[in-house]
Amino acid sequence: MNRFLTCSFFLLLFFASCGTYRYPNASGIRESAPEELNNYYTDTTQAFVYRAKLHVFKKDINGSLMVKTFGRNEHRVALVSDFGQTLFDVSLSPDQHELHYAMHDLNKGMVVREIVNIFRTMTAQRHATSAVMFANQQHYYPVYLVDNCYYVLKERRVERIQQAKGSKEHLTIVYREWNEDDIPTKIAVEHKKFPLTIDLALDVDQSTL
Amino acid sequence: MNNKLLYFLVFLLPFCGWAQTREMTANERASFQKSLQQLVEIKTISADFVQYKHLSFMKKPVESSGKLYLEHPDKLSWSYTAPFQYKMVFKDNKIFIDDQGKKKTIDIGNSKQFEKISTLVSSSMRGGKYDEKEFAVSYLKQGDADMVRLTPKLAGAKKYIKEIVLLFSPTNKHVEEVKLVEPSNDYTRFVIKNRKVNATIDESIFNL
Repeated sequence: MNRFLTCSFFLLLFFASCGTYRYPNASGIRESAPEELNNYYTDTTQAFVYRAKLHVFKKDINGSLMVKTFGRNEHRVALVSDFGQTLFDVSLSPDQHELHYAMHDLNKGMVVREIVNIFRTMTAQRHATSAVMFANQQHYYPVYLVDNCYYVLKERRVERIQQAKGSKEHLTIVYREWNEDDIPTKIAVEHKKFPLTIDLALDVDQSTL
Repeated sequence: MNNKLLYFLVFLLPFCGWAQTREMTANERASFQKSLQQLVEIKTISADFVQYKHLSFMKKPVESSGKLYLEHPDKLSWSYTAPFQYKMVFKDNKIFIDDQGKKKTIDIGNSKQFEKISTLVSSSMRGGKYDEKEFAVSYLKQGDADMVRLTPKLAGAKKYIKEIVLLFSPTNKHVEEVKLVEPSNDYTRFVIKNRKVNATIDESIFNL
């Protein structure tokens, strides 16, 4: 009996931790007409410079984030401190990344993986063929699902991306403001597993738009 | 014909302006080091600076600017005024930081890195000697201007900086530019302008 209860407990724990994420108030997933999402960083003639404020493990880091598109879903992203020191510099493509430089303290496997994940999610253009269904559809904005990312559309623009891992939300990226050309001017990133937030504000004067 | 033109251009290349960096002769070096001694008389410096961050994949550098104040022997104020506000004061073995109203203090005893930065800035501005235990020092000429290249010797510093290049004014031997080159070859260039030497600096500059 004891063995049965112990096994049941661990099985329950295993299934609970391996459960799948359920989007709030969703009643299911449906097929949708193909929808192109997150078209913000597709123009290879543009270069974006954002003022960046990072709050990570109770430390504040201020600097600039540079984003440059080199091709379809080929981006280079670099974070530089206010004193001009490069913190990391990475090329991103859908299936791989090339780390050009990471400051010694940041050059650790898990840190690099998370940084790559954040900025790949933020910059990558995606195509959705699935959408979230709600019981009371008219009360919710359209939400598309690609792999483990939920894209919330407001006024036909991606307003936020919620990434899930296992049964939990892993990362949220909120595009808070845009300019007249639909370029995100304010972005808030919140990591749900680690104490990490990034606030980005577009520096129009230093960007090439 | 085209080949001849190409050979001619290749021959000319070393004579182009950007290529004219060479080692100082022994006489030039002695004269340069002597001229730096006049800077030891400097008690205060105030100046504007413009910082250009160059990344290989960006067409134009990211620019910021600010003010620096130096008072011998141990006070340094380094503040950014555009496009953001951020001020650091090195004083009494502490670093005082004002990040848009958010203030904090760091004990330099816990931050050898900052102490080295402060010492390097002060000695560069006042013509002090470079720490040859920390850096391999090369004395160079770029056109009429004198140049010093500091290459870190210690493994700890090498992780962050490949070399530091100081460019001196041909006329008064003041530092005009500082270039910090990273291991990736991306670099940050500081251009120092509107320098005032030995003018009184209001004590409030060093208070945060």
